[in-house]
Amino acid sequence: MSFEWLHPLLIATALVLAVIGAVRRVNLWRAGKPDRINLIAGLMAMPGRYLHDLHDIVERDKYMSKTHAATGGGFVLSALLIILVHLLGFDNQILAWALLAALALMFVGALFVFKRRLHPPSRISKGPWMRLPKSLLAFAGAFFVLTLPAAGVLPDGSGGVLLTVILTALIIWGMGELFFGMTWGGPMKHAFAGALHLAFHRRQERFGGGRSTGLKPVDLTLAKEIGGVLGVAKPTDFKWNQLLGFDACVQCGKCEAMCPAFAAGQPLNPKKLIQDMVVGLAGGTDANYAGSPYPGKEVGNAKGGPDHIITDGLIDPETLWSCTTCRACVEECPMMIEHVDAIVDMRRYLTMERGKTPNKGAEVLDNIIATDNPNGYAPASRTNWAADQNLPLMRDVKQAEVLFWVSDGAFDMRSQRILRAFVKLLKAANVDFAVLGDEELDSGDVARRLGDDATFQSLAKRNLEVLSQYTFSKIVTTDPHAYHCLRNEYSDFGSDALDGVEVLHHTTFLNQLVQLGRLKLNNFSGAKVTYHDPCYLGRYNGEYEAPRELLRSMGIEIAEMERSGFRSRCCGGGGGAPITDIPGERRIADMRMEDASSTGAELVAVGCQQCTAMLEGVVEPRPEVKDIAEILMDQLVDPSAENSRQDRLAEEVH
Amino acid sequence: MSQFDVLFEPLKINNLTIRNRVVSTAHAEVYATDGGMTTDRYVKYYEEKAKGGCGLCICGGSSVVSIDSPQSWWSSVNLSTDRIIPHFQNLADAVHKHGGKIMIQITHMGRRSRWDGENWPNLMSPSGIREPVHRATCKVIEEEEIWRVIGDFAQAARRAKEGGLDGVELSAVHQHLIDQFWSPRVNKRTDKWGGTFENRMRFGMEVLKAVRAEVGRDFVVGMRITGDEFHPDGLNHDDMKQIAAYYDATGELDFFGVVGSGCDTHNTLANVIPNMSYPPEPFLHLAAGIKEVVSVPVIHAQNIKDPNQAKRIIEAGYVDFVGMTRAHIADPHIIAKIKNDQVDQIRQCVGANYCIDRQYQGLDVLCIQNAATSREYMGLPHIIEKTTGQVRKVVVIGGGPGGLEAARVAAERGHNVVLVEKADELGGQITLAAKAPQRDQIAGITRWLVMELERLGVDIRLGTEANEELVRELKPDVCVIATGGRPFIDQNPEWGAEEGLVVSSWDILSGKVEPGKNVLIYDTICEFSGLSAADYLAAKGSLVEIVTDDIKPGVGIGGTTFPTYYRSLYEKEVIMTSDFLLEKVYREGDSLVAVLENEYTGQREERVVDQVVVENGTRPNEELYYALKAESRNNGQIDNEALFDIKPQPVLSESGDGMILWRLGDCVSQRNVHAAMYDALRLCKDL
Repeated sequence: MSFEWLHPLLIATALVLAVIGAVRRVNLWRAGKPDRINLIAGLMAMPGRYLHDLHDIVERDKYMSKTHAATGGGFVLSALLIILVHLLGFDNQILAWALLAALALMFVGALFVFKRRLHPPSRISKGPWMRLPKSLLAFAGAFFVLTLPAAGVLPDGSGGVLLTVILTALIIWGMGELFFGMTWGGPMKHAFAGALHLAFHRRQERFGGGRSTGLKPVDLTLAKEIGGVLGVAKPTDFKWNQLLGFDACVQCGKCEAMCPAFAAGQPLNPKKLIQDMVVGLAGGTDANYAGSPYPGKEVGNAKGGPDHIITDGLIDPETLWSCTTCRACVEECPMMIEHVDAIVDMRRYLTMERGKTPNKGAEVLDNIIATDNPNGYAPASRTNWAADQNLPLMRDVKQAEVLFWVSDGAFDMRSQRILRAFVKLLKAANVDFAVLGDEELDSGDVARRLGDDATFQSLAKRNLEVLSQYTFSKIVTTDPHAYHCLRNEYSDFGSDALDGVEVLHHTTFLNQLVQLGRLKLNNFSGAKVTYHDPCYLGRYNGEYEAPRELLRSMGIEIAEMERSGFRSRCCGGGGGAPITDIPGERRIADMRMEDASSTGAELVAVGCQQCTAMLEGVVEPRPEVKDIAEILMDQLVDPSAENSRQDRLAEEVH
Repeated sequence: MSQFDVLFEPLKINNLTIRNRVVSTAHAEVYATDGGMTTDRYVKYYEEKAKGGCGLCICGGSSVVSIDSPQSWWSSVNLSTDRIIPHFQNLADAVHKHGGKIMIQITHMGRRSRWDGENWPNLMSPSGIREPVHRATCKVIEEEEIWRVIGDFAQAARRAKEGGLDGVELSAVHQHLIDQFWSPRVNKRTDKWGGTFENRMRFGMEVLKAVRAEVGRDFVVGMRITGDEFHPDGLNHDDMKQIAAYYDATGELDFFGVVGSGCDTHNTLANVIPNMSYPPEPFLHLAAGIKEVVSVPVIHAQNIKDPNQAKRIIEAGYVDFVGMTRAHIADPHIIAKIKNDQVDQIRQCVGANYCIDRQYQGLDVLCIQNAATSREYMGLPHIIEKTTGQVRKVVVIGGGPGGLEAARVAAERGHNVVLVEKADELGGQITLAAKAPQRDQIAGITRWLVMELERLGVDIRLGTEANEELVRELKPDVCVIATGGRPFIDQNPEWGAEEGLVVSSWDILSGKVEPGKNVLIYDTICEFSGLSAADYLAAKGSLVEIVTDDIKPGVGIGGTTFPTYYRSLYEKEVIMTSDFLLEKVYREGDSLVAVLENEYTGQREERVVDQVVVENGTRPNEELYYALKAESRNNGQIDNEALFDIKPQPVLSESGDGMILWRLGDCVSQRNVHAAMYDALRLCKDL
C-alpha cells in the first residue's frame, strides 16, 4: 500500500478534531451552574460504575447487553490499539493481532446492532442512529483490513490504489462517526458524555446499588440575589453535570416505553425532553430529532439555546406538567439520566418565578400555604376522622414507640377507612403509638412536586420543629408520599428531629408485626388478588417485598401484573398530575386498571391512598381496590377475648 | 373529600365529643322488658346504630323517673330503680365500643299516660286538667309530690350516670310534666308553681338544679322542648324562645333538642312525627329560632331523612345536630353508607310511620320496610353476608314488596335470582298506594328495592305472567311465590260485582276506572286503601261519601296518620259515615242505588250515586302455588318453628329432588308490607 503517511495523518486529524470538539462540548456543560463533585474520585470510579451500575441496568436486556459489550468493548480496545499501531507506528505483531481481535469483536457486535436496526422498535430514534451500525462496520472492517499487513497476514503494500481509496474512504467515514462524531454531537456522543456522566453524576449515591430519589432543595436565598433565579429558566440554570447527563442519552427510548404520560397520549416523551435539553444546551432546533414526538405535537418547531428561556419556544409547559414523577424513566434509563430532577427544576421556575402552575395548581398551592393542606380544609379539622378513635396525642403523651404520621388522607373519607383500618391493626397488636393531631401539617409532597419548594421547605421545617419536641423511635405512615418526604427529603434542613428514627411505610411495619406474631391473621379466601406497587414506595424507596409478604401471609397468591415491581406502571396520581390535569387521549389510571384486570384479579391490593383514589376513579366494572391495611383488617383474628373491655376491637371501619 | 364532610365535623356537648352531626333522637322503643329494663333487644337495637356510625343516640323516649308515671303501657325504660344500672352498663358498652355516644331521655309523664293498669296510680298534673289523646284524667299535683318528683329526676340522672351513659335529656316536650307546668293551657295554679313566668318555670328549674347537683358539672344534661305548641292558649314560638333563653342563662344545660308542635290533641300529635304528607323538615325554623337565643348546641329532628338534606341544614347553620331517627330505623347503617360512598344504597325512610303508629298502640316499634330493625337480637341481619354454601337458582314470582325483598336477600346471599312480574312495573300494591294524594312517598320502598336488585344483578322479567310451565323451564332450586291478592269485591253477591255495579279501590287508584261524579265508597277494612281512594276521588272533583260498618272510617290507621287524611277529607267535604253495612247495589236508570243498613238498628237508607267503590280487602292469588305444590320437595310448606326462631328452613339442608317452594305475602293471606317483607327476609337470609 502506498501513501503510508496518509492513515496516521487521518487518525491524528480525527483525534485532534475530536479533542477540539471535546473541549467545545465541555465548555457547553461548564456554562451550567457549579456543583460540588470530586472530579478525580469520579473519574477513578467511572470504569467500575460502567461495569457494575450501568451494566446492571443494561443487563435487563440481555441481547443489547451482549451486543453493546462486544461493540463498545471492541471499539474502546480498537481505538487504543489503533493509536498504538497506526498512529504511533508500534510495529508489534502481538499488538496487531490484538487489534485484529478487537476489531473482529467490534465487527460482530456491530452486525448485531445492524440486525436490530433492520426492524427497530418505535421507541428508538432513527435518523443518524440508523447510520451508526454501518459506521461501526465501516470502521471495524476498514481498520481490520488496514491492520492485516501489520499482523503479517498480508505483505506490506498489498492492494492497489482502488483498495486504498476505498479503505481510506471507509476509515474517514468510520473515524468521522466514532472520533469526530463523538465530541461533535453524533450518536457516539453518548460514549464520551456517558462516561463522564458516570464519573460526575449528580447523585453519586446511586452507584454501588444505592438509591437516591429525594429532590435536591432549592437555595431560596437566590431569590434575594440580583439575577438569581429559583429553579431552571434557561439551560445554563441547570447544574453543569445535569447538562452533561442530558448529553449521555442514547435515545434508546426505554424511558418512552415506560412513561405513563406518553402512553396516555399526554404531551410528554422523556426521551424527547432530554433531546430538547440537548438542543437547549447546544443551541439550535429539534429538526433533526428522529424519535417519537411528544404525543399531539409536531417535531421541528422547538428551538432554544443555552441562554434562552426553555419554556419560551423549546418546551411547552404542558410537557413538564404531564409528568407524574413516577421515576419509571429514571429507573429504566441505561445511562442513569435524571429526568424527574430536570422536570421539577423547570417546574420550580414556572411556579416560583412565573406563578404559572396550571389548572388547579395555583389554587392547591394557595390552599397549602393558607391551610397547610392541599384541599384547603380548616386545619383544626385534621383529626375529625378520629373523633371516635381515642388516639393518644403526642402533645399529651410526649413519647411513644411509634409516631403514626396520618397525612392528608385525614381529610378524605375514603382514605379515612385506610387510616381506621391501620389504627385497628395497631391496637390489635398493642403497639405503643401516638399521633400529632392538629400539629401535623401536610408533608409538602405536592407543593414540592408542583415546583413550590419554598412552601415545601416551610412545611418541612415546621413539621421538623414539631417532631423535635417528642420522643419516638419510629415514624409509620400509610402515605408513601409523606413517607418519601420524611425519609428522604427532610434530612436536608439541618434538624435532628429524625436522627435515629426509623421511617417506615405501614406495610413494612405491619409486616414486621405479622412476622413477629403480634398480628394473627385468618387466611384470605376471596377471589384473585393482584398488587399495585405505588411509585413512591417501590421505585422511590425500594420497598417491593413487604407488601407482598403481607399478602402471602394471608395465603394470597399474588397474580402479578406484567408491569410490577420496579417496572410498575404509575396510577397517574403522583407529582401533582391530577391537579395540573394535562389532557391526553386516555387516563393513566384506566390503563393501570386494565393492567390489573388482565391478570383476572377481582381485587387490587394497594398501599397508597392516592393510588386508591386514582384506581377507584376508574369506572366500573373493574376489580375492587383495597389498601393492604384494609385487607389485613378483614382477616384479623380478633384478640378481644383476651383483652380488657376497653381495648376490644369492635370498631367499624367506615 | 366528600360533599358530606360537614356532617362529619365532630362537635362537643359539654366535654363529650360527638363524632358527627347525626343523632338518633329519643323515641319510645317499646322494647324495655322485665319492668322497664334495657335488655338484649334494646341493647342490640342501639348497638346497630352505633355500629352503623351514628354520632349520638338518645334512647328511651319518655323513660320514667317515678313509680307513679307508668312505664308498662309503652314498655318504656324505668329509671325509678337502681335495678336499671347494670342494664345501662351493657347498653353503654355496646354503643361505646363502636365509637358512639348514648344518653337517655328522662321524664315524668304527668297526665300524659294511663292510670288503668300497672300500679293504678292517680295521674298528676299542675291543675288536674284531663289529657284528651290518652283520655287521661288526673289529680292536681301537691307540693310534697312536686318535691318528690324533683328528687326522682335527680336519682334517675344518677342511675344513668352510674350506668355509664353519657348524659340525660330532660323531656319538657310532648306535654310531659315539666312542660305541663310551663304551658298556661294546662297550668292554672295560683301558688308559686303557676301564674307568672318564673312560677311556671319553677318546676323545670328545680328539676334541673337537683339533677345538676346530683351528677356534677361534667355530665351532660340537656333538655328537649317544643318550638311552638301550636295552640292559641298554649306556648307560642316567642314564649319558647323566652323559656329556652331563661334556662340557657343558668349555664347548667348542655344542649337543647327542639321539636315543633304540641301534641295533646290528635291533630297536633300528627305534627310531632311528620308523616309522608309533610314537606321535609317542616319545623326547622322553630329550632333555628331557639338556636338564636341559646349558647349551647341545638338538636332538631323532624322529617330529616336524606343525607343531602341533613348536610344542607348543618351547612347553613340552622342547628348543630340533625336528628335522623326514623332514618335510622329504616337503615341503621345510613352513616356508614354515606361514608362509604354508598348513598344510593341507603334504605330511606318513607314516612309511612308504621313505627310510631305501632308505638302509640303500645306495640314494639318496627319498620315497615326493614324487618331487621330491632330484631338484631334474634339474628336478623342488616348486612347480608354471601353464602359460603351452594349457589342456588332462585325464582321469585311477583314483584311486590315481599317478592322484591325475597329477590334482594337471595341475591345478597350470592344466588342466581330471576324475578318474574306480571305487570310492566315493580311494586305491587305499593304502586297503587302511591297514587293517592300525599301518599306518593310510599313508593320509596319500591324505589330502593329495585335499585338494590339492579345493583345485585337480578334478572328481572317484567310483563311476564308466570305459569307452572315457565317456572319449570327456569328450573329453580328455590321458587318463592309472592303473587299477592286481588280485590275481594264479590264477597256479597248482592253488591253486584259480577254485573259490574261496583268497582274496587284498585280500579280507582290505578286509573283503570274513571272517577264518578257522585261516589259512594264502602270500606270494611278501614285502613289506608279506603281513605286513599276517597282522597283520590275527592281530589279529582268527585262528591264522595265513605261508609263503613266499623266504628269510623280509617279507624285502623295509626295516630300520626289518620289526622292527615282527615285534614284532607274534611277540607274536600268528604262525608264520613260509620256503622252502616252495604246491603246491596242496584241500577235505576243511569244511576246506582246503594242500600245501607245501620248495624245497630237495622234501619235502611239509600244513596243514589253514579259510582260505588268497594274496599273489602283481598283474596290470595294462589293458583300458581297450588299448581306447583305437589311437585315441590317440601309440598310448599314452611317450617314455622324454624321461621319464628329465625333458623334456616330444615329443607335447605336436606337432599331431595325438585324445587323448594315457599309462598309469602298476600298470596297466603292478606296482611301488610312489613309482614311480607319480614317473611321474605327470614326465609331467604339462610338460603
